[in-house]
Amino acid sequence: MKPPTEWTVRLFHLGLLRGASLLVPAQQRSEWWREWHAELWHVRQACAPAGNVSRGGMREVTAFCLGAFQDALCLKRQCRERVRPLAAFQGSPAQCVLFLAAVLAASYSIALLLPGVRSERSLLQHPVSPGLVLIRDADVNSDSAATISFRHYRAWARQRQQYFDGFAFYRVSPEFAGWYSAAAGSQQNSAWAVAHASGNLFALLGLPVQFRQPEGERGDMPGAILSEGVWKREFGANPHIAGSVVRLGERKVRIAGVAPDGSWGLPGRVDAWMLEPDSAMVLDHAGYVVAHLTALGEAEMWGQRVAITVFNANRTEDDLLGVSLDEGVPQPWSVYLFAVLLAFLALPAITSVSLGEYSVCSQRPTLWRRLRRWSLLSTKIGLLLPIVYFVSLDLAFGCTTFDPARAVYIQLVSSFSMCLFGLGWALRDQRQRCPVCLRRVAHPAQVGQASRTFLAWNGTELMCMGGHTLLHVPGLPTSWFSTQRWLYLDTSWEFLFSAPGSGVKTELVSGLSAH
Amino acid sequence: MAMETKLSHTAAMILQALDAGFVYGFSIMEMTGLPSGTVYPAMRRLERDELIRSQWEKQSIADAEQRPPRKYYKLTAAGKTTLEASRKRYPLLERLIPSEGVKS
Repeated sequence: MKPPTEWTVRLFHLGLLRGASLLVPAQQRSEWWREWHAELWHVRQACAPAGNVSRGGMREVTAFCLGAFQDALCLKRQCRERVRPLAAFQGSPAQCVLFLAAVLAASYSIALLLPGVRSERSLLQHPVSPGLVLIRDADVNSDSAATISFRHYRAWARQRQQYFDGFAFYRVSPEFAGWYSAAAGSQQNSAWAVAHASGNLFALLGLPVQFRQPEGERGDMPGAILSEGVWKREFGANPHIAGSVVRLGERKVRIAGVAPDGSWGLPGRVDAWMLEPDSAMVLDHAGYVVAHLTALGEAEMWGQRVAITVFNANRTEDDLLGVSLDEGVPQPWSVYLFAVLLAFLALPAITSVSLGEYSVCSQRPTLWRRLRRWSLLSTKIGLLLPIVYFVSLDLAFGCTTFDPARAVYIQLVSSFSMCLFGLGWALRDQRQRCPVCLRRVAHPAQVGQASRTFLAWNGTELMCMGGHTLLHVPGLPTSWFSTQRWLYLDTSWEFLFSAPGSGVKTELVSGLSAH
Repeated sequence: MAMETKLSHTAAMILQALDAGFVYGFSIMEMTGLPSGTVYPAMRRLERDELIRSQWEKQSIADAEQRPPRKYYKLTAAGKTTLEASRKRYPLLERLIPSEGVKS
């Protein structure tokens, strides 16, 4: 049996090696440990043969093990140097494009997740039919209040019309809804805004109804069409919802389908639509009238509006106003395009639109390099514009509590701001990219003194890390040096910017001389 | 123009020791008198610069001798060229470690 002191010493040395191994990069650790462990065995054989641990031998083995720390640190430094080429990635055109692509992907993903944005996309996929107007009392400025009774509506709808070839009526009333939830195993109750509408409303709007229950399966019960929001919120987007029975107020109704989400330009938030025959409508309750214009009616439109005069039951005239459903809320796409146009117009106010490609001498980049430079600028702007669109959608429609008009303002302001400052950034970034390698110039150095601007040069000098160019930016633009200029470096500068691999010999000399 | 490789005396000694047949870290330490904290890091740098290369001994050989396998180092062609240049720079190198030294 070996004496305990030898085991203690052995454990101590192994502990030293193990401690040093923690400094070694993980991917090299096992091989490093294997080499040092093997070497330790040989060192121990040489210094303390047959377990004969002398004080001097122990000191030698310990000194050997302590050297492992320096070796481990050396490997760690080497690993860092290998990682350093990643620094060359910084400021490269690829990094810029990848960053923009990542932002675009993130903004698009968020847009896919936000319910408000999804509903707007659904509206784009299912636009209402053209030529529809919402009719209201001409004396009322807003369409937030219902102004036309069903009695009046029925009277017009029965008359022969020149300007309109279709009418639909709806009124919204709050009602309690109750249904049995199989998932929760209990009766659920909620307050819904229920629209009682004429049976042709969806056909007139041209909107599809999802999960529509066939006519023959409905039975005697009246049918209700849920809004997509309620279908998802209350019924967990159950695709087999059609045919389920819901109590609305005092009546039992059968769910006949799900309406696509979106505001469609109609006033009032609606959770469920009850399509009812005219005989079931309450005559004196006020509601909204949607009408479809004939060609003659569309010719009478003036600024998306049409004035209507009708005779009521008392043979007196009623002045009404028809407002196009398209007029109420502009489409997000048109708001975005308008904001982009404004941003392009305002761009010269915040930055110079010059790309600053002036050279100190007569040297000019080749056509291929100029094409690459323009391609990069186009790519940046090409990625920036969809980013602006999706981020503005996220901001405007992220919160479903915003009314459509407020969402339009948010989208307009955010699109304009992001587009303006984004384009400004794209141009500034482009001006600071080396015309040869398209990498961003770095290491700004202040040259000269402001007080000597008129006698000598004063400004900032930046350097391309590839060793291709120097950029001179005047501190105070003068008539003889008004804009930035590029100085193309010749090949005699290359040794200063050579790759780390070629400079290692020099480093080796300095590294070893230290010992 | 290709950069001329200039080694420090320590690195040149290690290359000379390898050329003389001292092919693993501990033998180089013994031959040169340099501590492990100098020899092993120097060999890492020389290997990184492709002046030397390493190879693990076959397990069967180590098993036959009842010891753990060692990592052996060998001069590359570039290493030999560099060593030749270093010998001109450090004329005493060959006297310190003769090339016909003890082979391990």
